[in-house]
Amino acid sequence: MFDYTKQIDENQNISKYWRKNPKSIEKYQFVHHFLPKPDKRKRADFLENKAILIYCILILVVTAVFRTIPKVAPGVLGYASDINVADLLKYTNKKREENGVPSLRLNDKLSAAAQKKAKDMFEDGYWAHVAPDGTEPWDFIVGENYEYIYAGENLAKNFSTSKEVVEAWFKSPSHKSNLIGVNYDEVGFAVVNGVMDGYETTLVVQMFGKPRQPSMLASVGEEVVNMGRNAVSASETETASNGGESEVRSETSVSEQPVGAESAISEPIPSGSPANSFIDVTLATKTISLVVGGFVVSLLLIDILYSRKKGIRKFTGLTLAHLAILLVVIISIWLVFRPGLIV
Amino acid sequence: MMENIKENRVEYFILFVAISVFMFLIYSFRFDRQMLILLSGIGSAFYIIWGITHQWLRGKLNKSVIYEYTLFGVLVFLLFFIVLSF
Repeated sequence: MFDYTKQIDENQNISKYWRKNPKSIEKYQFVHHFLPKPDKRKRADFLENKAILIYCILILVVTAVFRTIPKVAPGVLGYASDINVADLLKYTNKKREENGVPSLRLNDKLSAAAQKKAKDMFEDGYWAHVAPDGTEPWDFIVGENYEYIYAGENLAKNFSTSKEVVEAWFKSPSHKSNLIGVNYDEVGFAVVNGVMDGYETTLVVQMFGKPRQPSMLASVGEEVVNMGRNAVSASETETASNGGESEVRSETSVSEQPVGAESAISEPIPSGSPANSFIDVTLATKTISLVVGGFVVSLLLIDILYSRKKGIRKFTGLTLAHLAILLVVIISIWLVFRPGLIV
Repeated sequence: MMENIKENRVEYFILFVAISVFMFLIYSFRFDRQMLILLSGIGSAFYIIWGITHQWLRGKLNKSVIYEYTLFGVLVFLLFFIVLSF
C-alpha cells in the first residue's frame, strides 16, 4: 500500500531544502542551459538555432571591430614577430643547400639598400616592388653603389618568425626562383617595424645580387607576381640596352596593391619587448575562433554523452556530424594556420 | 553513438572522405590565404548540402533542421574567416 504521508513528508523536505538553498536553484537553472531537454526532445539552450546565430553575429561584430580599430587608432592592433637577419640568412642558405645551390654571402650594401626600401615603403605607404613614384628596387641597389649583373627582391610582412618567412617564399614559385637562384652570390636583408594600413607590422626586404665584374655585361630580368599581402617576389624578364651594354634584372615582387597613406616607421623592435604594446591581431582572432569553436564543441560533447546516458532521442540534425566538422575547424586553426600567409 | 553511426554509415562515410580531402587541401594550401578562404567557403557549403540531403533522404527534413545545418555551416565558415581575414 502506498504511504501518502511518507510521500508528503518527502516533498516537504525537498521544498524546505530548496527554500533554504536558493543558490542551488540558481546553479540548477544555470547548468540546465548546457543540458539537452528530454521533454522537448531538443538540445541545450546554448545549442539552439538562436544561440548559434548569436555566435555567428558575435564573430561578425568582432571582425568589424578589428577592421575599424586601425582606422580610428592606428598602431593599436598589429602583428607580433620575432624575425632577425641572422635567422633569415641561415634559413635562406639552408634552402639553397638543400637544393644544391651555393650559399649566399651577406652584403652590407644590399642590406643598406633593403633598409632604404623598407623605410620608403613605410614613409610613402605602399607595399610593392615599384614605388608609386616609379622608383624600382634597382634604384635602391644602385644608390648604394652596388654594381650588379643580376639583382632580385623578395618582400614579406605580417609573419611571426624568420623560418615562416623563408618557408612561404619557398612555397611560392616566383619567390623560390630568387631564393634558390643560381645567378646570385650575395644577399642583403632589412627587418623593419612600423605602422602600415593602421596595423603595427614588420616588413622584411630581401635583396639579391651578383656583383658586376669589369669584363662582364650586366643584365636584368623582372617578374612581378601579385601574391597579395604577405610575401613578395617577381620575375618578369627584360633585356635592356644601355650604351652598348645589355642589362638583365631579376626582380621578385609580392603585391602591387597600394597601402593606405597613413604609415609610420620605427627601428626594429625585438618581439616581446615592452615597446610592442599593440594587440597581436593574429593571436586575438585565433583565440576568439578557438574559444567560440571550443565552447560549441564542448556543448555538443555534453549533448552526446548526456543524451546517451539518459536515453534522450532528439528531433534534430546529427550532433556527431556537427562535432566532427567543428573539430576539423579547431584542428586546422590551431595546427595548420600560420600568421603571414601569402594572400 | 555507434548505433547512430551504423544507422547512417553511408552518409558518415561520405562526410569522412570529404573531411579527409578538406584537411589535405587545407594543409597543401596553408600558405595561400585566398585559397584557404575559398576552401572554407566550399567546405561550409558542402556541409550544409550534405546535412540537408541526409535529412531529406531519411524523411526528417523540416525548417528547423534546414536552419540548423545552415547555421552550423555559416559558423564553420566564420570561424575560418575571422582568422584568415587578418
